[in-house]
Amino acid sequence: MPSRNEIIAMVKEVLQQEFDLTDVELNLDTHLVDDLDLDSIDAIDMAVRLEERTGLHFEDDELKSLQTIGDIVDKIDGRL
Amino acid sequence: MVASSNAAAGHEHPNDAGRPAEPVGSGGARDWSGIAERGSLLGIRITLWWYRIFGRLLTLPVVFLVAGYFFVTDAAGRRASLAYLRRVYASDAGRRAFDRAPGMRESFRHYRSFALAIVDRFSVWFDGPDQFIFDTQGAELIDRYAAEGRGVLILSAHLGNFDALRRLAERTGEVVNVLMYTDNAKRINRLFSEMSPEVRDRMIVVDPSSVLSVFAIRERLRRGEHVAILADRNELGNRTRSVTVRLLGDEVRLPQAPVELAGLLGCPVVLLIALRDGAGRYRVFIESLAERVAISRSGREAVAAELMGAFARRIEHYCCSEPYQWFNFYDYWGDAERSTRAAT
Repeated sequence: MPSRNEIIAMVKEVLQQEFDLTDVELNLDTHLVDDLDLDSIDAIDMAVRLEERTGLHFEDDELKSLQTIGDIVDKIDGRL
Repeated sequence: MVASSNAAAGHEHPNDAGRPAEPVGSGGARDWSGIAERGSLLGIRITLWWYRIFGRLLTLPVVFLVAGYFFVTDAAGRRASLAYLRRVYASDAGRRAFDRAPGMRESFRHYRSFALAIVDRFSVWFDGPDQFIFDTQGAELIDRYAAEGRGVLILSAHLGNFDALRRLAERTGEVVNVLMYTDNAKRINRLFSEMSPEVRDRMIVVDPSSVLSVFAIRERLRRGEHVAILADRNELGNRTRSVTVRLLGDEVRLPQAPVELAGLLGCPVVLLIALRDGAGRYRVFIESLAERVAISRSGREAVAAELMGAFARRIEHYCCSEPYQWFNFYDYWGDAERSTRAAT
């Protein structure tokens, strides 16, 4: 089971690789929409990538509540 | 019965001016979705009430009168109609549909055709689709995907009668959800919702400021249900997610999001167009646009441009075949704006 730090690193890696966010500082408080300007298609994209990496299946109700990188990490941490 | 297919019912009215497909280079132009629906709910209610009391035959003259009123008073819509018909006439394939160069007579016929389509929609909704004969080509495609449990992304356009989807769903018992852009047609949506709670259940309302509608699409496709989108207008997702394609001699911008969604969710994409073929008859065309969309982060736009280009070519084909059934009564190609810019 990955540690919380490993989960944080994975989430950051997915965001950096998939959304070209290499020049942006990412931390747990980073807001997905306000700070990273992700839109609805990006949200689905992110969910698909994270599902591929973790083997988890996110229900849409779960995804709807995610607002920050910290929320994603908490969600994965709680499920793994 | 499981389909709801009243998508964009309020968008296509001749008096619902707007701009879905922002023409290339028209940066800063108003987006169609920001323009409020101008149709009167009361007027629609009265017409529906009339239809329910007096039936189709006595509704036709009323709707023709309304269409005539708009033809006379809606100069912008009339210009747009004529400009569109001339575009069709300018193509070799489209010219065959006319016995002379389009003028006011042809434009009026265009409005009249819209009125007929409205009454047909009332008929489908109130009397059921069984009163129409649907000659469907390609239904086996949907059947095959349904048998495999795969939800299909159905792309259509403001061309012909989208409510034929309802027939498709009734035939097989499949679930077809329809994406609606509620900001632009909230009044007519409310009316349809009041008419049937089932309609509301099968609508996916697009709110550009929220990711929820896209989640809803994903959820339903994952359940093996189908999702239908009127893709001739740029209405889903972020405004910047659009691709430039050629349609009837000029460039338009069409949404990229359906292609991205199909790629991310691994669902097939089909085109569905239902064209009126005389009283009580429809020809329904279902064609595969992509069995599976393979997208990468860097090549996403190119893939979207290719698929939406194929969509536009088929739309052009059907416009040339039935030019009077295209129901975008506004400056779709941005001709007026281009002229204004050139003048200034």
